Amino acid sequence: MSESASEADPEAAETADDLRSYVESPIIMATVRVVSPFVFTYGLYLMFHGANSSGGGFQGGVVVATVMLMLGIAFGIDPLREWVGESTLVLVVVAGVFAFLAIGVVTTLPPFGGGFLDYSALGFPGASKYGIEAVELFIGVVVASTITGLFFAIDAGKEGGDNE
Amino acid sequence: MTPRELAVLALVAGGAFFAFVAAVGLLRLPDVYTRTHGASKSDTLGAGLALAAVAVTFGFDLSSVKAALLVLFMFITNPTAAHAITRAAADQGIEPWTTDEEGEE
Repeated sequence: MSESASEADPEAAETADDLRSYVESPIIMATVRVVSPFVFTYGLYLMFHGANSSGGGFQGGVVVATVMLMLGIAFGIDPLREWVGESTLVLVVVAGVFAFLAIGVVTTLPPFGGGFLDYSALGFPGASKYGIEAVELFIGVVVASTITGLFFAIDAGKEGGDNE
Repeated sequence: MTPRELAVLALVAGGAFFAFVAAVGLLRLPDVYTRTHGASKSDTLGAGLALAAVAVTFGFDLSSVKAALLVLFMFITNPTAAHAITRAAADQGIEPWTTDEEGEE
């Protein structure tokens, strides 16, 4: 990715070179490769256990966002930003919010007739547990992508803001 | 005292000792390189020993498996974090402390 950037814009290539001299550490890259799947799994664990133990969507979302932060620190923030795509990030946040609302509204629809987020109205065993877990999952998605976006925004600010 | 209690006591005492060494190193050493050097090693060992004490306390249990995993990841990530901090400091051009300069104390 930095190769194509260097052809397009010499100034951008220079910043990419500056970043690369810091970024490419075999130790950090190897550690991130080993650790990030476990961190991601742990984030999902926290999200799904919010219903019956400590944890929850917010904490799990932060832990999942940590994976993105680690990838950015190990492999360069600009390549990661290009790979994720900022519009994708915003879309994921919006989709997460709407999924949350959809789960809440489904229980109020005519066949169920409960209140907003009233899972027991769905009428299958363990409905409230699964409903809470689904909501926590989408809270986690929203939190993780918001924190990733904040990380990108902070990184963009170090060059005086207003890039991309 | 059962042998297990003695083991827990020894592990907690060792953990507290190394955490104390890390705190002293963080406060007394002169610059970022020596501080990360002092803090990362001894704090990794201090936290590792404390978590090992937790694992021994729980015995053969799911909680002790979790504590053992915590020790494992602590040993992987803590030195890497120290490496990343030091590397970033070197990249920012922070000069290492040398004895040529005037000592502060």
